[in-house]
Amino acid sequence: MTKPQVIATEAEFLAHALALEQESVDRYEELADAMETHNNREVCDLFRKMADFGRKHAAEVERLAAGTALPRLEPWEFKWADDEGPETGEYADIDYMMTPVQALRFALANEKRSRDFYALVAAYSPDRTVRKLASEFAEEEAEHVTLLERWIARHGADTAMQDDLDPPNIVD
Amino acid sequence: MNPIPEQPRPKDYKSDVKPVWCPGCGDFGVLNAITKALASLRLPPEQVALISGIGCSSRVPAYTSLYGFHGIHGRALAVGAGLKAARPDLNVLVAGGDGDGFSIGGNHFLHACRRNMNMTYIVMDNEVYGMTKGQASPTTAPDWTQSKLTPSGTLSRAFQPAAIALAAGATFIARAFSGKPNTLAQLIVLAMQHPGFAFIQVLSPCPTFRPEQKEWKNIVRPFPADELPTSDPALAALHCQRDDGMSTGVIYVEARPVWSRSEMEKTTIEDIEQEFRS
Repeated sequence: MTKPQVIATEAEFLAHALALEQESVDRYEELADAMETHNNREVCDLFRKMADFGRKHAAEVERLAAGTALPRLEPWEFKWADDEGPETGEYADIDYMMTPVQALRFALANEKRSRDFYALVAAYSPDRTVRKLASEFAEEEAEHVTLLERWIARHGADTAMQDDLDPPNIVD
Repeated sequence: MNPIPEQPRPKDYKSDVKPVWCPGCGDFGVLNAITKALASLRLPPEQVALISGIGCSSRVPAYTSLYGFHGIHGRALAVGAGLKAARPDLNVLVAGGDGDGFSIGGNHFLHACRRNMNMTYIVMDNEVYGMTKGQASPTTAPDWTQSKLTPSGTLSRAFQPAAIALAAGATFIARAFSGKPNTLAQLIVLAMQHPGFAFIQVLSPCPTFRPEQKEWKNIVRPFPADELPTSDPALAALHCQRDDGMSTGVIYVEARPVWSRSEMEKTTIEDIEQEFRS
């Protein structure tokens, strides 16, 4: 396990948790729009559904944070393991011909990173309240992981990218 | 334009127009970073103008709630410079691609660096002309053979944006990766706060015509933090020359007088007319 930057206060933790969900929602909406533009309706709907889940989680965090003055952190000041929040999928991992199963795998990877982030905070924070909250959040993310794994199993084996019979990179 | 909230979020700077970029395109990350930078700076949209040229990446003004001008091919910097001269109170961002900026607009690029007007130029560099279906651009490696127009490669040395910006006199030079939008947002903030011409070359993969660029995320790494940024042009040049083009961060920062309209205003119309009469 790589030792993360320490999140020491409840306010700092909640600021991270809120940003994690909000960034994830924004990204899923952005990706859904892109899929809609490129006529991949199934994956578009799936990303919209993921954004809806994220909005609900963000609302839960906001409820928890009510009455707490959260620090305003600039995007580059968050203590993520990488450049962006753990539940924010990378643009590069998307393709306009991706299948719903591939989209679910994309979402699964996001949820796993999120679970691992909270688990690390729970393991390393010096603050007992933060450790407790982070453990609960990690458990919730683990439930999402299990749920997505079930969905993937239900959709059957992984498939190759769909074929485009008129690909954009072929010059006529 | 709607007033921005006290603590704006990046989406407050986005318009209702949805990008038509291919899913996986690096330009999404640049749009994301621009809006994050503006939210960090808490700039009201009406105080910012985003000017572009032609190409996939040059569609970016339409996707923001800022003043925008989708200009003509290669002339984004000329339009941006004109706007800055006429409205020095505006924050002028200029954006476009490598073909637009370094080929058709190459001469404007050189003189914008030299003139040092207070504006920020963001080039989304994917080493290809994407909108016209995948031809070699100035930054394409000479051995790239995937276009029917250059089946034996380009036979030309690739343009070195950072090194050329340095030689031409840019006072803020940085390179970034679109797959790291939060780091890029910070660079855009620094660039916009820099007094003078700030240039950011953003490595922005094209998944459609350069699918091999998906690997960039595993290749990019920061410049050595102990040596850069520098205000020593020789040291900056050394790093630009040594590097394979995949290192990111601020390379060069120099304090130099900024082009100002007030200097020009010392000359009156009467003075100019007198000069023609004499």
